[in-house]
Amino acid sequence: MSLEAFADSRDLSLGVELELQIVNTQDWDLSPQAADLMRLMQGRRIPGDVKPEITRSMIELSTGVCSSHAQVVSELREIRGALLDAARRLDVGLSGGGTHPFQQWSRQRIYETPRFHQVSALYGYLSKQFTIFGQHVHVGCPSADDALVLLHGLSRYIPHLIALAAASPFVQGEDTGFHSARLNSVFAFPLSGRAPFVTRWEDFGVFFDKMARTGVVSGMKDFYWDIRPKPEFGTIEVRVLDTPLTIEKAAALAAYIQCLARWLRTERPHRLHEDDYLPYTFNRFQACRFGPEGTYVDPSTGEHRTLRDDILASFNRLEGHAIDLGAEAGLKLLRTELLDKGNDASWLRDVREREGLLAEVVRQQVLRWAG
Amino acid sequence: MDAWTWPQPPGPPGEVVWLAAVLVAGALMGEAIARTTRWPRVVGYTLAGAGAAAFGLHLSVPMPDTARWVIDLALALLLFEIGTRVHLRWLRHNPGLLATSLLESVGTAVAVYAVLLLLDLPPAVATAAAVLAVPASAAVAGRVALELGADGQVTQRMTHLTALNTLYGVLALIVFKGVQLADGAPGWWQQLLALGASSLGALVLAAALALAVARVARRLDLRHESAVLLLLGLVLLAVGAARWLGFSTLLVPLLAGLLLRNTTQRPWVWPRHFGTAGGVLVLLLFVYLGALWSPGLLAAGGAAALALVLARALAKGVVVMGLARWSGASTRQALALSITLTPLSAAALVMLGELWLALPALAAQVAPVLLTALVVLELLGPIAVQQAFKLAGELPADGREAR
Repeated sequence: MSLEAFADSRDLSLGVELELQIVNTQDWDLSPQAADLMRLMQGRRIPGDVKPEITRSMIELSTGVCSSHAQVVSELREIRGALLDAARRLDVGLSGGGTHPFQQWSRQRIYETPRFHQVSALYGYLSKQFTIFGQHVHVGCPSADDALVLLHGLSRYIPHLIALAAASPFVQGEDTGFHSARLNSVFAFPLSGRAPFVTRWEDFGVFFDKMARTGVVSGMKDFYWDIRPKPEFGTIEVRVLDTPLTIEKAAALAAYIQCLARWLRTERPHRLHEDDYLPYTFNRFQACRFGPEGTYVDPSTGEHRTLRDDILASFNRLEGHAIDLGAEAGLKLLRTELLDKGNDASWLRDVREREGLLAEVVRQQVLRWAG
Repeated sequence: MDAWTWPQPPGPPGEVVWLAAVLVAGALMGEAIARTTRWPRVVGYTLAGAGAAAFGLHLSVPMPDTARWVIDLALALLLFEIGTRVHLRWLRHNPGLLATSLLESVGTAVAVYAVLLLLDLPPAVATAAAVLAVPASAAVAGRVALELGADGQVTQRMTHLTALNTLYGVLALIVFKGVQLADGAPGWWQQLLALGASSLGALVLAAALALAVARVARRLDLRHESAVLLLLGLVLLAVGAARWLGFSTLLVPLLAGLLLRNTTQRPWVWPRHFGTAGGVLVLLLFVYLGALWSPGLLAAGGAAALALVLARALAKGVVVMGLARWSGASTRQALALSITLTPLSAAALVMLGELWLALPALAAQVAPVLLTALVVLELLGPIAVQQAFKLAGELPADGREAR
């Protein structure tokens, strides 16, 4: 199978996907009720889409193609409203967060579709351990080459995005010490990591054909990269975000990515070089482990700063673009949260500290997601 | 020198030895069933009891004191637990489910009453049997779902409908006893007053239990064995007090669970059935239920019992299936749900005991019908419930959970 053609898309358009946790309202553990939610959502008119995911206690919602932060917020609100109606009829809770804090992965059940069973057979326990919840943001690109250039430009900001969105400190009842433990599960997959350093679609096609010839991959969906091109939509897809605890935060993260993309596209602040990836995994680890307090190594200068400082600096640089894109509200939300709690992971730890019971943490997560 | 004689035991073995023997037999049969079939262990517990009854050790109603205590206490734990799993706000968000709950209970009572009248039973007997047939089995439902690790809408709805129809049944019995006692007898209003007072007393006791548990939970981690024992002690104390004061031993724990769940936001997390200690009581309960049958009873109950079982299953099925769409369930789930409601409850047995205290003559007439129905359903019930969970796709992929 060869690489599909890169579709047309509106430059800097946004699409947001959120994987949500379905929990019971009794002990607040995950509950396999995706099919029930899907049934009740049938016939509801919503922008975008709602679909099942690999384990039955997970559901994914996606917006349509949006042009602005405001549109993302309004579409997410509408979808959330419809989902909450269905959830109330079933007495289940819906929640953000990158992991469920105390679910036992061995108890998860695979959703009934041939593809999910295939994946499950191949990856074994990894696929159940993949009961993790992420936000994906698509950014529209005018051409395939532009997409690759944007992808490698954005790669520098992967640690920033991880630190801001981190919302998975707890795994199977334990505090992992990480801000985003979810990404550790992603890194276990053989084809995770970063895309190869090529900036022309033609060269990417050569790489893809070589991989396809080895029989290791059959399509783009087999790559679990942090950012990957999505030729079918004509977008690049940022995949490192934990699902935030609120839709407002999800929309704000999309707005931040949109501003970064516009800045990178119009000002070309960095000369792309493969060596930029030398500190990549170090930076990414720091972001996962320490969140905004992590160390960021500037790929160009080798300078060390805290991620918090570098994120705040990026907000300042993006101000003009945020105004042009109508994304100021989004960036303001991120800045306020960064200066106050830090991120959702810190919020979750605070609640745990106060309440001492992870089930109560999930209950409050559900309340927050309902707005 | 006198000939040596085998030392004589100082007396009969006593209750403790019998209880231990019941425990061993139940546990053995439970494991045997789990090893050789894929059925829930409760089938084995019940079979152990049924086997004992076959050798003439059957349990008759009114029950001996030990059996009554064990059943009261085990049921109290199960009812308290099921009460804490009922989220009343769900009924507000899903009126279809509230309607299902009310109509399946009323429908069951009406259907059973009508069928027994057709079979020429006296109206008072038919009414009493109809009231006792309303509750589904909290014991079977809770135990089988737990053992098999069932999870999903059917499990969730079964829990709610079972807790609620048990509540309706218990309340209906109080009213029924009131009406029967009031019927023309001198001093009837005093009887009524006493009934009212005892219902109010049950409510107060339930509130006290809920409050005590909430207090304990705030200070101790309920997932720890020692805290659970304290909790267990509180529930048993409340039920002991209820029996001593003549309140319903079903109403107090059930109401306490309901109050606890619905007046506080914090999740109530503790080991199901209160860990091992509670597990022992639940096992004994199933063995005792198994021992209820005797050939004489089956002959006396006969056709009326079978008619009761069928009418009851049909009524519950028709209502649950009929309101499936409104309540947001699929047809398959509704079918599974109506099957999970068919096992007849140990609560019915305790209710029969309560009826016996107030109206022994009437209770004696109801007993054969109700007990035969119970006997028929107690072996079939858990297996049917398991199949229902399977039908609804609510069991883990490998069919059973190692717990």
